[in-house]
Amino acid sequence: MSNFEVVIGLEVHTQLKTESKIFCSCSTEFASRPNSNICPVCCGYPGVLPVFNKRALELAVRVSLALECKINQSIYFERKNYFYPDLPKDYQISQYKMPLGEAGILEFPSGKKININRVHLEEDAGKLLHKDDCSWVDFNRTGTPLLEIVSEPDMRSPQEAFDYLTYLKLILQYIGASDCDMEKGSLRCDANISLRKKGDTKLGTKVELKNMNSFKGIRVALEFEAKRQAKAIEEGEGITQETRLWDVEKSKTIVMRTKEQAHDYRYFPEPDLLDFSISSKLIEKEKALVGELPIERRKRFLKDYKIDQKEVDIILSSVWLADFFEQANKYYPKPGELSNWLLGPFLEQVNTLEKGFDSVKISAQKFAQVVKYFCEKKLNNLSAKKALSLSIATDQDIDSIIEKEGLRQVSREDQLSVFVEEAINENPKPVGEYLEGKVQAVMFLVGQVMKKSKGKANPQVVREMLKRRIEK
Amino acid sequence: MKDLININARGLAEKISSQELKKEEVISFFEDRIKKVDPCLGSFIEKYEQPVKGEGKSLLSGLPIAIKDNICIKGKKITCASKILANHIAVYDAEVVRRLKCAGLDIIGTTNMDEFAFGSSTENSCYGATKNPWDRTRVVGGSSGGSAAAVAARLVPFALGSDTGGSIRQPACLCGVVGFKPTYGRVSRFGLVAFGSSLDQIGPITTDFTDCAHLLNIICGHDHRDSTSAFLDVPDFTKSLNADIKGLKIGLPKEYFGQGLNKEVKVAVEGVKKIFQEKGAEMIEVSLPHTEYAVATYYIIASSEASSNLQRFDGIRYGLRVGGQNLEELYANSRGQGFGDEAKRRIFLGTYSLSSGYYDAYYLKALKARTLIRRDFDQVFKKVDALLTPTTPTTAFKIGEKASDPLSMYLSDIYTISTNLAGLPAVSFPCGFSSSKLPIGAQLIGKEFDESSLIKLGSAFQSCSDFHKEIPKIIDE
Repeated sequence: MSNFEVVIGLEVHTQLKTESKIFCSCSTEFASRPNSNICPVCCGYPGVLPVFNKRALELAVRVSLALECKINQSIYFERKNYFYPDLPKDYQISQYKMPLGEAGILEFPSGKKININRVHLEEDAGKLLHKDDCSWVDFNRTGTPLLEIVSEPDMRSPQEAFDYLTYLKLILQYIGASDCDMEKGSLRCDANISLRKKGDTKLGTKVELKNMNSFKGIRVALEFEAKRQAKAIEEGEGITQETRLWDVEKSKTIVMRTKEQAHDYRYFPEPDLLDFSISSKLIEKEKALVGELPIERRKRFLKDYKIDQKEVDIILSSVWLADFFEQANKYYPKPGELSNWLLGPFLEQVNTLEKGFDSVKISAQKFAQVVKYFCEKKLNNLSAKKALSLSIATDQDIDSIIEKEGLRQVSREDQLSVFVEEAINENPKPVGEYLEGKVQAVMFLVGQVMKKSKGKANPQVVREMLKRRIEK
Repeated sequence: MKDLININARGLAEKISSQELKKEEVISFFEDRIKKVDPCLGSFIEKYEQPVKGEGKSLLSGLPIAIKDNICIKGKKITCASKILANHIAVYDAEVVRRLKCAGLDIIGTTNMDEFAFGSSTENSCYGATKNPWDRTRVVGGSSGGSAAAVAARLVPFALGSDTGGSIRQPACLCGVVGFKPTYGRVSRFGLVAFGSSLDQIGPITTDFTDCAHLLNIICGHDHRDSTSAFLDVPDFTKSLNADIKGLKIGLPKEYFGQGLNKEVKVAVEGVKKIFQEKGAEMIEVSLPHTEYAVATYYIIASSEASSNLQRFDGIRYGLRVGGQNLEELYANSRGQGFGDEAKRRIFLGTYSLSSGYYDAYYLKALKARTLIRRDFDQVFKKVDALLTPTTPTTAFKIGEKASDPLSMYLSDIYTISTNLAGLPAVSFPCGFSSSKLPIGAQLIGKEFDESSLIKLGSAFQSCSDFHKEIPKIIDE
C-alpha cells in the first residue's frame, strides 16, 4: 500500500433549496407519504412540457460563484436517455456539453486547493421501494433541482475526500443553496478512485464507487477500495474499469457494472426548453448574496474573537451556530465566555431536543444574558444551566425565570450563615479531615450548603465562609 | 337540414347566435351524419356519447369540433392510434382544449391518425386506415388523416390536427380542405403528445379560410406552460380575410416545380398563380438551394427527438404493460407489442442517429443542414412576402400502394417538410381536381409569425374559386 498514491475525484449531487421542483410547480418539501408531491409534468405524462424554475438557476449561479467557477453565460439543457422505472420520462433533463460553471476551486482551511471540473443543473429521479416481492416507485423526489459538482481527481487520501465533502457542505449551507441533508437525500456523493505508483504522473484505471450514505461511509468505502486495488495490483490481477457498490453491512465494495455494460446516454439538446443566457445583472446579484465564505469567516473569527482554533472550527461547522454566536457577541462581547457556554451547556441541551437546532427558540440576546449573569455572579453555574434549559425551547424572559424559580445567586453571608452552621454540625467527619489537612474535604461541605440553599448559594462565598468558620 | 353541409362553420355559428338554428340541432345533425357516414370512412377513433362541453363565448360558440387523438382532453381516452396507449385516460386538458372550451366549442370526438403521427397516409393506425371520401380505395394522407377526412366529408364543421412535417397540410391537400400549420411557437404544444418537439405544431383543418382565421384566433397565443411558446401579441386574423393583395410579392421556388411533380398538380397550382396575378400580386421565381437535403435532415431530427419522446411509453406508469421475468423483459414485451412497425422504424432510426460514434455524422450534421435550410428561407423572404408551391407531388395514392416502401412514402412530404425545419407558417388549400376527380392542393408559406399574409392570399383566391365548396358524395343521400 505504501508504494501507491491514492487518487480520488468526487461527484456530488446536492439538492438546491427551492420551494418548487425544477420543471413544474410541485413542492420540493420532504414528504413521507409516497407520491404526494407529484403532477402530470414530473410524472412524465404524455404531452407535458417542462418550464424552468428560475430560482434553481439563481442558486446554481451562486454556488458556481462561491466555488470560483467560470460561468458560461449562454447555456442549454440536454436529455440523458436511459430506461429506469424511477425515471418517468426515461430521460433526465441535464446539462452535458455546456455546464453552467467550469474550472472552479475549493480551498481548505489548511490551504490545500481542490480544482472543480464542472457544476451543472439537472433534475432528480424518483425512489424505488422494494417490499412484499414487489417494486414500488415514489415520484416525490422526481424533478427536484439538483446541482452536480464534479471535482478534478485532486484528492490524495480518503481523509482528504472527507475534508472536501465537509467543507463543500459548509459552503453550500453558508450561501443558502442547499440543506445538504444526506438522510433526506439532499446531498449524495459518488467517488472515482484509482491508484498509481508514487512518482507516476499518469492516472491509473479508475473505479467508480456508489451507494455510500454518509461522509464517514465514503471515507470507509474509499479506504476499503484503496486496499482492494493495491492488493489486486500487487497480485498481478490489475484493475478493471467498473462501477462498484458499497455494501454497508458487509463493509466491502461489489461490482455493479463494467465498462462494457456502460450506458450510451445519447445526449442531445432538450428541444422543449430554449437556450437561455445568464445576465451580468443576475451574476452581480448572486455575487452579493454569496457573502462571506466559511474560509473568510474563519480568518475573521480567529482575528476578532481570539478564541481557540478548535473552538472556532466547531462553531463554524454550523451556519446556525456561527450566526448565533456572532449575535450573542453583539449583546455581550465576551467571546471566550460565550464560546464556553455555547459549546458546553448549550450544545449539551440542544442534543436533548427532538429536532436539534430546529427546536431551539431562545434568542441570541437571551443566551448572552444568561452568560452575562453568570459572569456577573448573579447566577451560579447550576442556576445558569437551569435558566438556559428553561428558556432554550421557549424563549421565556430570563429575569422572570430567575424570579419564578428563585434562581438568583445568594452571596450575602447573613443569608447563608444558617446553612453553613448546619452543615458543620451535621458533618463532623469531613470537618475533622479538613482540620487534619485534607483541604479537599471542604468541597463536600460546600455541596451540602448548596443543597440546603436549593442550589442558589454562591459556591465561592460558601467556601470562604466554611474555611473561616472551621479554622476559627 | 341536409343543407347544413353547405354552410361553413362561421355561417353555422351565425345561425345559432341569431337563433335561426339551435345549437343542439347543429350538434345532433353532425352526430347523425357521423353515425351514417363514418362507418365507410373510419375517420373517428372515438365519437363521444356526450360531447365535451365548452363554456365560454366566441364567434364560433355552439359548434362541434373534432380533435386529432394526440391532444389531451381531461377524462377522455388518448390513444395516438397506438396499442401502447390504448386504455390511457388523459388527466389534464391540453392548452388548445382549454382554449376551445373557453370559446364555447363542443368536442364531439377524436380522429384517426398514423400511430404517434408517424406517417403520411393514416394507414399506420392500430384502428386501421381511414379512407379518402373522394375515393375510398385511396388514402387520406397523414398523419392528421382522420381530421382531414372528417372535415372533407362534412362530419364536423372543422377539426384540429398536428403538423410535424406536413401532417396537417398533406392530408388537407389529399382531401380537398384547408389545413394550416402556424409558426412554431404560435400555438401551445402543452398537451400535444410529442413527436418531434422542435417541429410539432397544432393547427386547424377547415373547409375555407374564413373558418381557418376564426379558429386560429381561438387557438393561437402565449402559454406559460410551453417554454417554446412565443411571447407575442396575436393579430385578429379575420381582419386579413378578403383584404387587398395588390402589390404583394409571391415567390415560386423553382426546386418545388421540378422532377416528380405530377402534371395535373402543376397545372392547378399555375391556376392559383394566375388568379394572384389578376388580383395585382407580383410573381417572382426564387430558389431554395438546400431543398434537396430537407427530407434526409427531417427524418434524422424528427426521429431522434421521437426516439427520446417515446421512451416514456415503457409499461411502468401508464399504458400497455406486458409483463416478463424481469424489468428488461417488461420493457421489451410492452414496447415490442405496443408499438407498430413504423413507430419501431423511427425509434431505431433516431436511436442510431444519436448513438455515440454516429451523433456527429447524423444528428449534428442534420442540425447544420437545418440551419442552411432556414437561411434559404431568410434569404428569399428578403425579396418576397410569401411562397406559392404545390402541397404534394401527386394526388391521393392507393391504400397499400406505398405501405411496403417507406422511402417513397417519406417523399410524399417533400414540399411540406422544409417549413417545419424552418419553423414557418404554411397552409394547404384546394386549387383544383384531377381528371379522376381527386382534390389537388396548393401551399402558401409565410414569414415567421406572418400567418396574416397567408390568410389574405388564401381568402383572395377562394373569393374567385369554388373548389373548396365541392363536397364528396359518399353514400346516397
